[in-house]
Parts: sequence; C-alpha cells; structure tokens
Amino acid sequence: MIKSQNLLTEVESKELLKKAGIPIVEAKLARSKKEAVSLSKEMGFPVVLKISSPNVIHKSDSGGVKLGLANATQVGKAYNKIISSIKKTYPKAEIQGVSVQPMAPPGVEVIVGMSKDPQFGPVLMFGLGGILVEVLKDVSFRIVPVTERDAREMIREIKGYPILEGYRGQKPASIPALEKLIVKVSQFVEKNPQIKELDLNPIFAYPDKAVAVDARIILE
Amino acid sequence: MFEEKLKELEPVFYPKSIAVVGASAASKKAGSLWVRDLRSAGFPGPIYPVGSSGGRIADLEIFPNLRLVSGEIDYVIVAIPRQSVLELLDDCTAKNVKAVQFFTAGFSEVDIQQGRKLEEQMLEKARQKHIRIIGPNCIGVYCPEHKIPFPLGILGESGTAGFVSQSGGIATKLVTTGIARHINYSKGVSFGNGIDLDASDFLQYLAADPKTKVIGAYLEGTRDGTRLFNTMKEVARVKPLVVWKGGRTEAGAQAALSHTGSLASSEAIWSAMLKQAGAIEVHGLEELTDTLLIFQQLGHGQGTSAAIIGGLADGGGGNSVAAGDACMENGLEVPPLSIETKQKLSELLGEVGSILRNPVDVSQAQFRGLAALFQAIDLVARDTVINIVLIQEDIDILLPIYAGKGLEEINAFFIELGSRQNKPIIVVLPPGSAEPERLQIEQKLLSASIPVFCSMERAAKAIYRLNQYYSGRRLNKANYKKL
Repeated sequence: MIKSQNLLTEVESKELLKKAGIPIVEAKLARSKKEAVSLSKEMGFPVVLKISSPNVIHKSDSGGVKLGLANATQVGKAYNKIISSIKKTYPKAEIQGVSVQPMAPPGVEVIVGMSKDPQFGPVLMFGLGGILVEVLKDVSFRIVPVTERDAREMIREIKGYPILEGYRGQKPASIPALEKLIVKVSQFVEKNPQIKELDLNPIFAYPDKAVAVDARIILE
Repeated sequence: MFEEKLKELEPVFYPKSIAVVGASAASKKAGSLWVRDLRSAGFPGPIYPVGSSGGRIADLEIFPNLRLVSGEIDYVIVAIPRQSVLELLDDCTAKNVKAVQFFTAGFSEVDIQQGRKLEEQMLEKARQKHIRIIGPNCIGVYCPEHKIPFPLGILGESGTAGFVSQSGGIATKLVTTGIARHINYSKGVSFGNGIDLDASDFLQYLAADPKTKVIGAYLEGTRDGTRLFNTMKEVARVKPLVVWKGGRTEAGAQAALSHTGSLASSEAIWSAMLKQAGAIEVHGLEELTDTLLIFQQLGHGQGTSAAIIGGLADGGGGNSVAAGDACMENGLEVPPLSIETKQKLSELLGEVGSILRNPVDVSQAQFRGLAALFQAIDLVARDTVINIVLIQEDIDILLPIYAGKGLEEINAFFIELGSRQNKPIIVVLPPGSAEPERLQIEQKLLSASIPVFCSMERAAKAIYRLNQYYSGRRLNKANYKKL
C-alpha cells in the first residue's frame, strides 16, 4: 500500500496507477549508473532518465530529466549529469537514483489530475498538456465520482477540443481511451482517500490509446 | 421524489399558527413589525405576539412568555438577542413547537468559534424534541398562498417559481423584482446560517412541491457539499434549477503541489458542480430573475431560431443589426427568412428602406398604416424557419409617431398575436426617456404572459438557457439508456 510519505516518486506513483488499471509508461528505479544502463538495454532504446527523489517536485526545471537517450554511452553520461545537477540545485535532497523508462512516441499531450475541494471533496481536472494548461488554463473539472457521461462532457468542454479530434492533419487522440482513463482515475481516487493531489502530466494520447508518461501523487 | 419532505416541512410553509417572540406594544422592533406584517397580509391562523412589555399590538394580546400562549404553536419567529435563544428553545420544547426561525443574528457568521458553539447547543436542544430550525440570521419563509410575507410586508401574488437563498437581502430582492416583473413565487426561503434546515432540505421540498415548477437559488457556500451536489442532481432531473453562486472567493489559497491543485479555484469547482448536477448557472440577480421569468412564462423551450423584428416605425437600421449580434453572441440563431416570406414582405413594404432578411426592419410600414405593420409582423411570425419571435419596441420612437392610442393598439396586437401563435412572442423594451409609458406597457404585456426584457442580450441569454435545459434533459435520458 501507499507509504505515509507526502510526495511519492514517479516509480511509486506509477506502480499504484498500474495496479488500478490506469495505462502508464512503466518506469524502473536505477540506483546506480550501471543499473541505469542495464535497465535501458532491457527496455530498448531510446529511453528517458528522470531524477528520483521525494524532495524534487519540478524535475525538468532543475535538469533532472534527459529525453531520447539512444545508447548506453548516452545513458551513462545523462545519469552523471542528472545527479550532479540535482546535487547543485537541491543540496539537501534525498536522491534515490533515476527512473528509467522507454521514450514514448509523441502524441497529443493532455493532463488529468485530482485535487480536493474544501466543500466538495475530490475533483478531477482535464485539459491539454504542456504549456497550454499553464498559460491558457483551458481545463475542465468534475466532482468525483465521475461517470462516463461526465468524462465525455469534460473532454468536450475544453476550448482545445478540436486539437484532440486531429486538427489540420495531426493525428487524433482516442476520445474513448481518454474517457475510460478519466473514469478509472475517478475510481482510483475514490478507493484511496489518503491521496491528496494527483497529476498525470503529460498523458500521451494516440489514435488508439492514451498512456500517462509522467505521474505525481501527493498524500495527505 | 422527496415526497417525505412535503410532510416534514408542512409546518414551515403552511403553519397553522405563528408566535413572534420579541414583539412589543410601543417599539418598532423587528418582532413588532413581523406581527403587523403577518396581520395585514391576512395570515389565516392565530398570531401570538410574545414580549416582556405586555399590552397589545395590532389588536393582539402580547404574551409575556411563550409558555403562557393559550393555543398550540406550529411556527415561531424569533427576534430577540442571542443570549436568550437557548432559554427560548426550552420554551419551544415545552410548547411542542414544530419549527423555529431565528431572525436573531450574531452567530457563526460573526464569530466562528463562539458562534458555532452556540449553534451546536441550539441544535442539540432542538433535536431532542424534533424541532426544526431555520437560520439563524435569516428572514425565513415567504409563502404568498398562505399569506406569509417577507419583512416590511412584501407580498406578491402566488405563482409557480420557488426559491432558496442564503441571504435575506437577495431573497427580498427576488420577491420585489418578481412583483415588478410578474415572476410569481409559490414559496421561498432565506435560511441564513442553515444550521439545521439548509439549501438541500429546501431544494428537496421544492422539488416535491406540486405548486413549484421552476426553482431559483442564491448560494454563497455549503457546509455539506456532497449532500448539496447529490440533491441538486436529483432536483434538476425533475425541475429546472437555476443557481446563482455569490461570493467569488479563491478558496484554493492553500499551497498546492500539483498543477491540478493550483488550477482548481472555488469558482471553477462550483461551476463544474452545477453543470454536472444539471443545474443552470447564472451570474447575478438580473440573470436569475430573467431565467425564472422565461421558464415561468414559456414553460418549455421551443427552439432557438429567432426572428428579430425592429424599427416598428423608425430607428431600425443599426439597432436591428445590434439586436442580431446580441442574439447570435448569446447562443440564438437568426436564420434568413424563407423566400416566400421575403417576397410577401417586399410586396407589402416595398424594397427601399426596409431590411427583409433577419433581423427584419419594418420601418417602412409607418407610411402604410398600422394594419400594414401588423400584417408584416404576422408574416414573419408565421414563417416556418423560425420558432421564436423577438420584437424590439422603442417607445421613444413610437410615442411621437403613433401617440398613446397607437401604442395601445400596437401592444394589443402583440398580445393578440401571442395568444394565437403557438410560437413564443417576446418583447424587448429598452429604457429611454419615456419611462412612465414604457413601464405601463411592460405591465400590460407581462399580465398577458408576454415575457418582457429591457435588452436583447438579456432576452437572448434567457431564451438560450431555457432551450439548453430542455435539450440537455433529452440528451440526459438518451444517455441513461445507453449506460
């Protein structure tokens, strides 16, 4: 079960999500450079390395993420860079190592998250991912439990919906897969009241499926 | 649904007798005013003033203590200082009172800790004998059918709109605006701090109440969000529920570690909750009353394809263009009229100086007499491409051209058209320099069940909401079957 620590790491968060049937890109913890290289070989290149620390929230801002690593040499270099960069920015951070995962092919980036409202309890959020969620705040909310119909409506409610349908020749995102994912997240947070906040950001949506590439769970 | 609430709250909305605690012979205290208001409204049961002064008020004996009241008491209105409320509740218990409304203020709304504590003690006492509490810090019940007015003797006609309001000021405004615009209420309530009966209870009652067809609500917050959400879901399924959430505070001030947490403002969550529950969200008193008015007057949405008729004598042109913009920006369609209608209009009015598309400018009719004007409007109203008729009537223009008598004929025609057409006729009367005449016409049209708005924007918004509710409900049912 969930540890009584406030911020779960990506690997821990994804483990819980996977058990709940929520599609994720699986990540494994490498405690050393050697482990990182061997895990990469197991998974197949290209891979992504991310810092694994319960104290680091904004991983990419502090040089804690390296994308598209194509071979063992690149993985080894990336490992050293990540560790030294984090040590510089957060000298007191507890560093477990790095997470290793296959590099997901690009898709439409969306975000699904949960936070708790003082009056209505857990609420889910849906929006387009990346810069769009932060700058335009083009997001929709629903109170948990979120039904299939609610999920359908909250996806269609955002202004950026045409992007999901495949705008100007871009590949569309599978709306049914997103609906299913939202309902599953709703069920997951209902069953786990100790979760205070949750971000699946980004989720890559493809024409036939949707997968969470990064995940963050914060406990009460 | 919620049928049990009808019986449970019967003594609240239809008490057989009312005692008013805090009345006095000489003073203008709230309690005294309440006694006089109930008396002049013609409340059908016994009214028992209670106060230490003794003597009489409004021809009624003032009892020194609630326990000394001779008859049975259903409902007690309390307007005494908060220090005495617990003692009073003991008196209520002794008299087997069914419900108590506290006008008395100064509880959790001013002092969270002390106030909450006192409220809890009140609840505890009341629950022992199943006494229901309304308030504290509220003006309580409004029920024109049972002759229960709001303070200051405010009492309109009985109708089909119900309301709940956390605030007494807004509740009063709903009723006075209603009196001015013929929005007639079945009943309403201002419940203040809502320590016992709260928005959910009253919404459930109104959903079950056969006299209520549409429900309005003004809310600032809730102590039990989950119950409110679930209640609204049920209520909106059976009756249109129009909600104005006041107090746009950013309650999400707590530091969030997630993107979701940082974006989830209280305002966004309330909006989402209302949408998810199937309620209609409005922003402000105008939108709330506009929406109640259109639901009450039209009942069902019949579509959003609007014909806009302006320039009845002159002054169309840009005003008609603006009216068209206002409708389209607020969700209505303004489709071109059929070729047949256009042809007939051009035969009637001539091509020059009129706009025969949609919005329709019929100003050329002024040179051909009122009969031609009426015929032109009739032609537009009959066109099958449209299902709602919006008429812009500018009194400042019509009065100098047609004088009072002509105006009367024009409005009599609208009323006649409204009664014979099965499409809704809606009149927009923009305020201007002839206010007395405008208000007179507004009253006349409203009494004939023609909805009147003072701007095209407000009319369009209300029509759109009405139609959205009904199309949303249909969608609702279809989806339930699928799931």
